[in-house]
Amino acid sequence: MAIDKDYNFKVKENFLEFNINSKIYPLSVILQTAYFFLDKVYIFLDGDPNKEIKVIMKGKEGQAGLSKLAGEFYNELLNQLLREKVSATNAKIREYIVAKALYNAVPNEVDELLKEVEEEDWQEDPLGIAKTWEESQKKVKKPSSKKATEGKGKKRPPSLKLRRLKGKKGRK
Amino acid sequence: MGIIKFNKHIYNLEAINQAIKEFKNLAEFSIKETNDFFEIKLDNINGEVKEIIKDEFANYVLGLMG
Repeated sequence: MAIDKDYNFKVKENFLEFNINSKIYPLSVILQTAYFFLDKVYIFLDGDPNKEIKVIMKGKEGQAGLSKLAGEFYNELLNQLLREKVSATNAKIREYIVAKALYNAVPNEVDELLKEVEEEDWQEDPLGIAKTWEESQKKVKKPSSKKATEGKGKKRPPSLKLRRLKGKKGRK
Repeated sequence: MGIIKFNKHIYNLEAINQAIKEFKNLAEFSIKETNDFFEIKLDNINGEVKEIIKDEFANYVLGLMG
């Protein structure tokens, strides 16, 4: 097994093995980085997440380029670490932006009510609330006065007293 | 037959079970849990994938955790 002194890589046949200090690179960062390399190599993780993680890489198409990939793995580790730190730093701002975008996307209840009121024809007064007492009373009285006027044109039947008087005259 | 030992402190059982569901047509899987590892035993492996199934399975589990 050859050891690369610079990076502590151990290369054996089709395998490459190296350790990552998990106090510098947390497990979540190592997992994200490993995910990034899944299409290029087979990756297996072992070790203690509180101390050191052992990364075992196996080339999908022979040994070619394995050492290079290990170097790229370290670079990607830094990249993912930075992404995680930026993500943690901007978490509140991101939440605020998303919340505001969602709030604006949902139609506001107050705006809807205002729109409804604006669309309504406020000059209509089907219940007659806007009219004065006198005006409303006139309307109520109208039917009764109509009845009174209705009788004026017609001939009233003669009263009982008048009929009796007529009867007496006839007898005489 | 083959055995894959997944470190319990790194890999989670949910991902392993999900991967087993996806790979069940290629082999018979059984899980044994020890103090530090989930030991996955593979039997009756499909001849076409015999060489790569262990590595592909490990990668798949890692992919489900990423």
